[in-house]
Amino acid sequence: MFHWLEKNPFFFSVGVFIVIAFAGLIEILPNFAEASRPVVGLKPYTVLELAGKEVYKKDNCIACHSQLIRPFKSETDRYGQYSLSGEYAYDRPFLWGSKRTGPDLHRVGNYRTTDWHENHMWEPTDVVPGSIMPAYKHHFTNIADIETAYAEAVTVKNVFATPYGDEFQATKEAWEAHKAVVLAEAKTITADMKNKDVKEAVAAGKIPEIVALIAYLNRLK
Amino acid sequence: MQSNAALEYDYTVAKLFTFTTILFGILGMIIGTLIAAQLAFPELNYLLGEYGTFSRLRPVHTTVVIYGFTLSGVFATFYYVSQRVLKVSMAESKFIMFMGKFHFWLYFVGALLATISLLLGYSQSKEYAQYEWPIDIVIVIIWVSWGVAMFALIGIRREKALYISMWYYIACFLGVAMLYLFNNMAVPTYFASGGLGSIMHSVSMYSGTNDALVQWWWGHNAVAFVFTVPIVAMIYYFLPKESGQAIYSYKLSLLSFWGLMFIYLWAGSHHLLWSTVPDWMQTMGSVFSVVLILPSWGSAINMLLTMKGEWNQLTENPLIKFMVLASTFYMLSTLEGPIQAIKSVNAIAHFTDWIPGHVHDGVLGWVVFMIMAGLFHMAPRMFKKEIYSKNLLEAQFWLQTTAVVLYFTSMWIAGITQGMMWRAVDEYGNLMYSFIDTVTVLHPYYAIRALSGVLYLTGFLMFAYNMIKTMTSGRELSEEPQFRSPMA
Amino acid sequence: MNALMIKGLLFAAILIGATIYVVDSMNIDLSDPINMITMIGAIAIAVLTVGVSIKYINQMKSDTAGGELCEDKWDGIGEYKNELPGGWAYSWLGTVIWAFWYMISGYPVNAFSQIGQYNDEVKAYNVKFEEMHNSADASTLKEMGESIFLVQCAPCHGSTGDGLSGKAHDFTSRMSKIQILDVIAKGSNQLGYPMGAMPKDMATGADAEAIAIYVAGGMKGEQPAAFAACASCHGADGKGMSGMAPNLTVFDETLVGNVVKNGKKGALGKMPAFNDRMTPVQIKALAAYIATLKG
Ligand code: HEC
Ligand code: HEC
Ligand code: HEC
Ligand code: HEM
Ligand code: HEM
Ligand SMILES: [Ca+2]
Ligand SMILES: [Ca+2]
Ligand SMILES: [Cu+2]
Repeated sequence: MFHWLEKNPFFFSVGVFIVIAFAGLIEILPNFAEASRPVVGLKPYTVLELAGKEVYKKDNCIACHSQLIRPFKSETDRYGQYSLSGEYAYDRPFLWGSKRTGPDLHRVGNYRTTDWHENHMWEPTDVVPGSIMPAYKHHFTNIADIETAYAEAVTVKNVFATPYGDEFQATKEAWEAHKAVVLAEAKTITADMKNKDVKEAVAAGKIPEIVALIAYLNRLK
Repeated sequence: MQSNAALEYDYTVAKLFTFTTILFGILGMIIGTLIAAQLAFPELNYLLGEYGTFSRLRPVHTTVVIYGFTLSGVFATFYYVSQRVLKVSMAESKFIMFMGKFHFWLYFVGALLATISLLLGYSQSKEYAQYEWPIDIVIVIIWVSWGVAMFALIGIRREKALYISMWYYIACFLGVAMLYLFNNMAVPTYFASGGLGSIMHSVSMYSGTNDALVQWWWGHNAVAFVFTVPIVAMIYYFLPKESGQAIYSYKLSLLSFWGLMFIYLWAGSHHLLWSTVPDWMQTMGSVFSVVLILPSWGSAINMLLTMKGEWNQLTENPLIKFMVLASTFYMLSTLEGPIQAIKSVNAIAHFTDWIPGHVHDGVLGWVVFMIMAGLFHMAPRMFKKEIYSKNLLEAQFWLQTTAVVLYFTSMWIAGITQGMMWRAVDEYGNLMYSFIDTVTVLHPYYAIRALSGVLYLTGFLMFAYNMIKTMTSGRELSEEPQFRSPMA
Repeated sequence: MNALMIKGLLFAAILIGATIYVVDSMNIDLSDPINMITMIGAIAIAVLTVGVSIKYINQMKSDTAGGELCEDKWDGIGEYKNELPGGWAYSWLGTVIWAFWYMISGYPVNAFSQIGQYNDEVKAYNVKFEEMHNSADASTLKEMGESIFLVQCAPCHGSTGDGLSGKAHDFTSRMSKIQILDVIAKGSNQLGYPMGAMPKDMATGADAEAIAIYVAGGMKGEQPAAFAACASCHGADGKGMSGMAPNLTVFDETLVGNVVKNGKKGALGKMPAFNDRMTPVQIKALAAYIATLKG
C-alpha cells in the first residue's frame, strides 16, 4: 500500500493530511465548549486596561514573564492562588508565556502597587538591585492608543458576546463619549504617581503608555 | 530512466533562496547573540532606543531565524532537490519558473515587512505567530505559491515514485498550512468597530485555555514541520548524495515517516503541563512525547547506518562530519524533549533556561548544521565552482561545535539550578530564595551563552564568506561532481 | 569500550557532575522526589544520547554496508531493503504498547488530579511544620522572618529594610518627618486599630513641625506641648496605649500585623495588603525580624 501511495502523490498527500489532522480533532475540540466559561464575577477589561495590555503585547513582556501559576506550593507561596481556566475567559490572546526570566505576573496586582511599578518601570535596578529587566522609560512619553483599545472592546462585545455595557457601540460618537470615562480612570492611577510629565499629560487629556500599563498590571489579581 | 546528463536543471530560484538563507542567517544570529548578551549585560538594552530592548528583539530573533533563515534554507534545498529526485527541470515549464520566482520575491518582500512590523511593535504576542493579520495574509499567499510550484513540479515528474525527501517536503507544506491557518485566526478590530483605531490590530478568535491549546498545537508542530520534517528531507538527500552510499533501510524510512506524522501532532500539550488544560490532555501530551523518541531516532539511526563502514569519509570530508553531528544533535534534542515532557521533570524544566537550551541543541546542532551542509553540497553544482576553502570549513566545524556545546551545557546547568531554586524551601518551610536571587545566580551562565553566540556567529560568517568566495572566485569545474563535493 | 565511547561518556559524566555540583552549592535538597526524577532524567538524556549515537558511529569504523538494493534510484541514490534494527524495532513496539496501555488503563485507573496532588502537598507541609512553628523561640522566629522578608518584602523595602531611599518605609528608624507630617495633615483610617480612624489636622503649622521632628527623632528629649493632642490616643509615651493606636516608638507585632494584613497608603507610596498570603506565624516572624532592623 505504501509503495502505491508513493507513486500517487495526490493520495499520498491526502493520507498525510488525514494522519496529521486526526490528533487535533480529538485532542483540541473537546475542550472548546468548556474552557471558555468565565469564573463567577469576572469582569471584562476596561478600555484603559486593554490599552495597557496592548503595551504589554507591543513591548512583548511575555518574553520574560509568565501569567500562569502552577499548582505547586512553591508557586502559590510566591505568587498566590494557582490559576484557574475561567480566569482567562476574556484573554484574547492568552498570555501565559513560556519563559520566566522574570517572575510570574498573573496576580502581581495583589502585591505590587502603582508607585512601585512607576519606580520599577522607570529603572528596575533602583528597586531591585541586580535586576536584568530593561528600563522602559519610553512608556512615560509614548501616548497609549486608547482608540484601538476601545475598538477591541467593541469587537469582542459584538463578535464574542463579551459582556460590555450598552454604551459600547461601533460608532465615533460612542467612542468620543467614552473617552471621559477612560480619562477619569487614568486620573485615579496618576493620583498615586509622582512623575510630573505623566501627570501633566493626563491632565491635558493624553494618556501615556505607563498609565495604561499600570492599570493593566494592577488588574492582574 | 533517462540519464542525468540529458537534463539541465535550472537553479535560479534555489540560488535566490540561498542568498536569503545567508542573509537572514546572519541577521537572525546577530540578534540572537545580542539578546544573549543583554541577559548577561543589561546595559546593552539601550543601543537602539525602544526598538532595542530584549523583549522587542526576542521575537525578531525567533522569527528571523525560523521564517527567514530556516525557511529560506528549506526553499533553497527544495528547489534544488526536488528537480533532481523528480527528474524534471524547472526550465521545462514557464509556469513553474514563474511560480518559483513569484514565490521568492513575495517571500523576500514579505519577510522584510514582517520583520519591520515586529520591530515597530505590531505583534499578536503569540509565540511563533506574532505577525499581525495583514502579514499573515501575505504569508498564506507565499505558502500557497510554494505549494503550487511543488505540486506542478510533481505533476510533470519523470520519476514515478516519490523519493523520501519529497515525502517530507510535502508533509512540511501540508502541516504548516493547516496549523498556521487555525492558529492565526483573528478578527481585525478596525473592521468590526466601524473604523475605529489602528487597522493593524486584531483579537484572537480563541480565548484563554482554548487559545493556549491552539497556540501550542501550532507551536509544537512548528517544531515538527519547520525544524524537523524538512530538515529530515535534507539529510535523506544530502547525506547519501555526498557520501555515495545507499540508504540503509527503506523499511526504517517508512516506519519513521508515518510514525512521525501520526505521533507528532498528539504531543503539543507538553507545552501546557500543569496549566489549566485538563489533566487527560496533558497526560496524552506526555505519553506521546515519549513514544515520539522512536520515529525521531529512526531517521537519525537510518542516517548513521547509511555511513556504516565509511569512517574514512567521516574523517576526511567536513560535510559528512557536519551531517553526522547533526544527526546526533537531532538525537539529543529528541530525547531531551520527551524527558522534559515527563510531568515531574517539566515541573522543574518549564519556564527555565533548560528549555532554550533544548531548543538550541536542535536548531544550532541540527537545523543550522544541516542547512549549511546542504548549501555547501549544492554550491559546486549550482555555480559549477569548487568550494573555496576546506580549511575554513574545518575550522568552522570545530568552532561551531564548541559553541553548541557551550550553549547547551550552560543553559542545562542554569535551567536545572534555577528550576530547583524556585522550589527550594528552608528548614522552616518558607521559600529559600527571592526571585532576584535566582536571576543573579545565572549571570556566569548567561555570559557563557553570550560567548557561545559570538563563536557560533563567527562560524556562520565563515560559512557565508566561504560560500560567497565559492561563487565569485572558486575554481571552475568542468563537470558536475558525482558524489563528494570538491573543495580547495 | 573504545576510545570514542569513553570520551563520550566522560563528557556526559562531567556535565552531570557539574550540574550536581552547582545545584548542591545552592543547598538544594536532591532527595525531593521532583528534584530527584529531574536529575535522573538529565542523566538519562546525557548517557543514552552519547551511548546510542556512539554505538552507531562506531559501526562506521567496524562494520561494512551491504544488503539487497531496491529497484529505484533517485538522482543516483539507492536504498537497501535491510530489516529494521532490532533494538529500535522492539523499543518502538514497546513504547506504542505502553502508550496504549497507559491511556486506556494505566492513567484512568490512577485518576490523577493535579489539584488533588496540590492539596495533598499543602496538607503534608502543614503537618510537617505545624509543631515546629508553634514552639518556635525568639531566635527561630527572627531567622524565619528574615527569609520571608527577603522573598516577600525586599522588593519594596530593600534587602536591608532601608526602604530603598524613600521608595518604601525605612525600618532602620521608626518614621520619617515627611511621613508623620503627612498623617497629621491627612489623618488615617486603614490599619484597623481598635481606636479606628485618626482625624486629620490634629496639629498644624509650627506645632506639627515640632511634633514631627520629635516623633521622627525617636521621641527623645523634651516633648513639644502640642504633642498633647496626640497623647490622647497614642499615649504620652507614644506607645499606643496597649495596642489601641499605633505604637510610635518601635515596630511592634500589632503594627506589623496590621500593616501586613491591611496594607498602607502614606506619604511614600502604597503598600499592598498581604491579607491571605501570610499565616499568623509568618507575621509573628516578620515582626520579630523587623524589630531587629532598628539601626
Ligand atoms: C529581560 C527580561 C525582562 C523583560 C523583557 C521584562 N522583565 Fe519584568 N522582570 C524581569 C526580572 C528579572 C524581574 C525580577 C527582578 C525585578 O523585579 O526587577 C522582573 C520583574 C518584574 C515585575 C515585578 C514582579 C514581581 O513580582 O516583583 C513586574 C511587574 C514586571 N517585571 C513587569 C514587566 C513588564 C510590564 C515588562 C514589559 C514592558 C517587563 N517586565 C519586561 C525581567 C524582565
Ligand atoms: C483619635 C485618636 C488619635 C489621635 C488624636 C492621634 N492619632 Fe495618630 N493614629 C491613631 C490611629 C487609630 C492610627 C492608625 C490609623 C490607621 O488605622 O490608619 C494612628 C496612626 C498614626 C501614625 C501612623 C503610624 C504608622 O506606623 O503608620 C502616626 C505617625 C500618628 N498616628 C501620629 C500621630 C500624631 C503625631 C498625632 C498628634 C498630632 C496623632 N497621631 C493623633 C489615632 C490617633
Ligand atoms: C509593593 C511594595 C511593598 C511590599 C511588597 C511590602 N511593602 Fe511594606 N510598605 C511599602 C510602602 C510604600 C510603605 C510605606 C507607606 C507609607 O508610609 O508611605 C510600607 C510600609 C510598611 C510598614 C509600615 C511601617 C509603619 O510604621 O507604617 C510595615 C510594617 C511594612 N511595610 C512591612 C512590610 C512587610 C512585613 C512586608 C512583606 C510581607 C512588606 N511590608 C511588603 C511597600 C511595600
Ligand atoms: C521528540 C521530539 C521532541 C519532544 C517530545 C520535545 C519536547 C519539548 C518540550 C517538553 C518542550 C518544553 C515545553 C515547556 O516546558 O515549555 C519543548 C520545547 C521546545 N522544543 Fe522540543 N521536543 C522535541 C524535539 C525538538 C526539536 C528537534 C526541536 C528543534 C529543532 C525542538 C524545539 C523546541 C522549541 C523551539 C521549544 C520551545 C518552545 C517554547 O517557545 O516554549 N524540539 N520541546
Ligand atoms: C548565534 C546563535 C544564537 C544565539 C546566541 C541565540 C540566542 C538566543 C537567546 C538568548 C534566546 C532567548 C532565550 C531566553 O529568552 O531565555 C533565543 C531564543 C530562541 N532561539 Fe536562538 N540563538 C541563536 C541562534 C538561533 C537559531 C539559528 C535558531 C533557529 C534556527 C534559534 C531559535 C530560537 C528559538 C526558537 C528561540 C525561542 C526559544 C523559546 O522560546 O523557548 N536561535 N535564542
Ligand atoms: Ca518560548
Ligand atoms: Ca499571526
Ligand atoms: Cu513541543
